[in-house]
Amino acid sequence: MRSAEAPPTPLLQVDGVSVRFGAVHALDSVSLEIPRGEVVAIIGPNGAGKTTLLNVISGFYHPTGGHIFFEGRDRTHLRPYDVAALGIARTFQNVALFKGMSVLDNIMTGRLLKMRGSFLLDALYWGPAMKQELEHRAFVEQIIDFLEIEAIRKTPAGRLPYGLQKRVELARALAAEPKLLLLDEPMAGMNVEEKEDMCRFVLGVNDEFDTTIALIEHDMSVVMDISDRVIALDYGRKIADGRPDEVRADQAVIDAYLGVAHA
Amino acid sequence: MLEALYAVFVGPFRDMIGAPSFLIEVVIGGLAAGLMYSLVALGFVLIYKASGVFNFAQGVMVLFAALTLVGLMERGVPMLVALALTMAVMVALAFVIERVVLRPLVNQEQIILFMATIGLNFFLEGFGELVWGSNVKKLDVGIPDSSFTVAGVQVNRLELTAAITAAVLVAIMAVFFQRTRVGRALRAVADDHEAALSIGIPLNTIWITVWSAAGLVAIVAGIMWGAKSGVQFSLSLIALKALPVLILGGFTSVPGAVAGGLIIGLGEKLAEVYWGPLVGGAIENWFAYVLALAFLLFRPQGLFGERIIERV
Repeated sequence: MRSAEAPPTPLLQVDGVSVRFGAVHALDSVSLEIPRGEVVAIIGPNGAGKTTLLNVISGFYHPTGGHIFFEGRDRTHLRPYDVAALGIARTFQNVALFKGMSVLDNIMTGRLLKMRGSFLLDALYWGPAMKQELEHRAFVEQIIDFLEIEAIRKTPAGRLPYGLQKRVELARALAAEPKLLLLDEPMAGMNVEEKEDMCRFVLGVNDEFDTTIALIEHDMSVVMDISDRVIALDYGRKIADGRPDEVRADQAVIDAYLGVAHA
Repeated sequence: MLEALYAVFVGPFRDMIGAPSFLIEVVIGGLAAGLMYSLVALGFVLIYKASGVFNFAQGVMVLFAALTLVGLMERGVPMLVALALTMAVMVALAFVIERVVLRPLVNQEQIILFMATIGLNFFLEGFGELVWGSNVKKLDVGIPDSSFTVAGVQVNRLELTAAITAAVLVAIMAVFFQRTRVGRALRAVADDHEAALSIGIPLNTIWITVWSAAGLVAIVAGIMWGAKSGVQFSLSLIALKALPVLILGGFTSVPGAVAGGLIIGLGEKLAEVYWGPLVGGAIENWFAYVLALAFLLFRPQGLFGERIIERV
């Protein structure tokens, strides 16, 4: 509907999206835009609908109303793996790694969509299949270098400390060379030093891989530091949207965080 | 007392050394039987690896595949055509299972999926007998169940064929799972459904693939076992023999299924032949389970299984 409007089209447009679980409005007619190349932070108190928003964008939930456009095309009702194929990668609030597999294999699974080949050749590990495997391996090594996880390549992901697991999850998402990267609380449960590392990586990804990033974060100092734009949600509604300093000064945001008597 | 010790610890070994070509025959027979167990165990491993589901119906799938093949051949379909049709039936079955059983149960507890496969087990058993009848059928695959002699050692043609087939299948699958794109996707799905979806792995396609593969393995197992002992209901019970193989080898390991099968096949044959007379025979019937029990006590993840790590 709005896709014909004002060029250049933002990478992602969410247009009046609602999600209801029974009587609960997890998202209530939320509209927002994520422009190409930016780092957008989504903030809000617990239960504001931040993760629901991410789940709708990545196809895990389907909206009960509204539309989602990616690169100007309507993709409201796609399934998660189709969304991934479009170039949207994500991480999860509670780290969803393949725990029994090595770090390297975890990251290689992120390349699955970039790989092709015949089932039979694959089964025989023959010719092109082997060559392809090696090429992808080289790209994955770049990511491993970039995120400084060389030392744990062969470690089963389940054995790593939490902070490193989050980093491996980021690596797996990056391996898909996404256009849009969705990070659900990438710094939750980390100490200051780990948070600083993660900030550096997020900004580095945005810069070097030219990836647009939308992230959910609670730590306001982190949000102020790394985001180009901040979107605030409360009770499933968008209450603010703008530059970090604007949003921080917004009365509705302050009320949502500190709590006021709702009339 | 001394005599008893002698009979247990010395006598059998003296017998082995005394008749080496007989020992070799026993060993070959044991290993061949072991590979046949591995064939059945492989079906379990495939599905367990890719979906974390212990497929109770695997034994019946073997029976069903064999019944379909024999049923078609009895109706005058040439063997190769019947084989192709049976393969088509097993792949179709995989589609149906994915659509009717697995898809509605995504993200459910494993025990629920397990219960669903028990249901599948009884359904397939009944359905197979309804369509093809319950009488014992003879499966003739053109390989005679007879022996030839190499350097004084008798080798059974059927067992040899089964062993070679099993070995080839296993080699292909081991490489496939460990080194390739699809194999890695299968392991990913087994580990975490949500994460697998998020990196673009279509769960449904993967499930169809893996159940089809398990179906095809079931055909091979069905042919080999069917040719040996006739196609009848008891064929589905060989699944019970596959359980100790899995416990030994680890539920998630293709090479483990082979090693486990070989150890059990060899172990029970040796025990039966050399120690059987001491206790009046029938060691073969329980040897595998006792060995499995010992493994459960000392190495619950099996020889090659992934180590179970749990944070507390």
